[in-house]
Amino acid sequence: MPSQRVLNVEPMPADFDLERLYDDHTQALFAFLLNFTHDEDDTRDVLQEVFVKLACQPDALCAVRDQRAYLIRLAHNAAIDLMRRRGARARNHEQFSAEQISAFAPNTDPDEAAFCKGLAAALGQLPPEQRAVVHLKLWDGRTFGQIAAVLDIPLNTAGSRYRYGLDKLRELLRPLYEEIK
Amino acid sequence: MNGEDQFEERLRRLPQRPVPPSWREEILLAARQASRSSQAPCLATSKRSEQGVTHFAPRWHAMLSTLLWPHPKAWAGLAAIWMLVLGLNFATRDEPTRVVRWTAPPSPQMRELLHQQEQLFAELIGPIAPPDADGPKPPAPQPHSQRGEQFLYT
Repeated sequence: MPSQRVLNVEPMPADFDLERLYDDHTQALFAFLLNFTHDEDDTRDVLQEVFVKLACQPDALCAVRDQRAYLIRLAHNAAIDLMRRRGARARNHEQFSAEQISAFAPNTDPDEAAFCKGLAAALGQLPPEQRAVVHLKLWDGRTFGQIAAVLDIPLNTAGSRYRYGLDKLRELLRPLYEEIK
Repeated sequence: MNGEDQFEERLRRLPQRPVPPSWREEILLAARQASRSSQAPCLATSKRSEQGVTHFAPRWHAMLSTLLWPHPKAWAGLAAIWMLVLGLNFATRDEPTRVVRWTAPPSPQMRELLHQQEQLFAELIGPIAPPDADGPKPPAPQPHSQRGEQFLYT
């Protein structure tokens, strides 16, 4: 918050280590944001916004038990704000489907590469809310309770979004999956 | 159910793309700079107000964008139309002042001239009979028709 940035004149706590925070959590935040926004520039902007916020309000982390969950929540909110600011929800969705930006590592195995490509395309067809839940469940290993807390949604909503999302992924990836299996 | 688990497991095992290494320095540098500026002691008033403007401008912009989302252009167009209507309204308000100026009291010379003209007009026409100050005159007596009575008696 700009106003807080101006008012906050307390020095950083001694145990506040921005580099350590970056090294511990950025990979998870990057994967989540890339899957959520499907835009590399937006992902970078949001990551920077999160770390700037942390640097300006180091006390915010003092009372936090699960730093990763707190950071994902910050990143999720910042990403939504960014998308709204740009009015890019629809545009982003189109871009997502068109460019198929993948959050997965490139693979030398052609079958795996094809599956990753198909998965990126299939994820692009999910609404961002379902994508966020699917990502947190599958690739961040969170429970529905934790996802509900992070995204500030009811537990049942988290569960249903995951099921709908996974069903759609299964449906879209069935030919590829059957072939590889 | 087993198939579902396998599918989930298959997705879970996919390796994630790593963060571009160049981002680390850039992001941490930006964070440190922001932190330093926030920890700076009392800023000079002018500098603070300047910073306030630069900080609050994007904030206002963000608030407005959020408020006007999802069709900011349509709202902006509507606002422009309203501005145009208000502008036209103000422009047409000038007319009554002109009318007031026209109906301003005549100068003493003009009043004198009018008085002279009035006197001349009175001399030419002669004295005008004063209007009757009594109340309304009773209606003139009209002939009573007895045709109705005659009809009854016959």
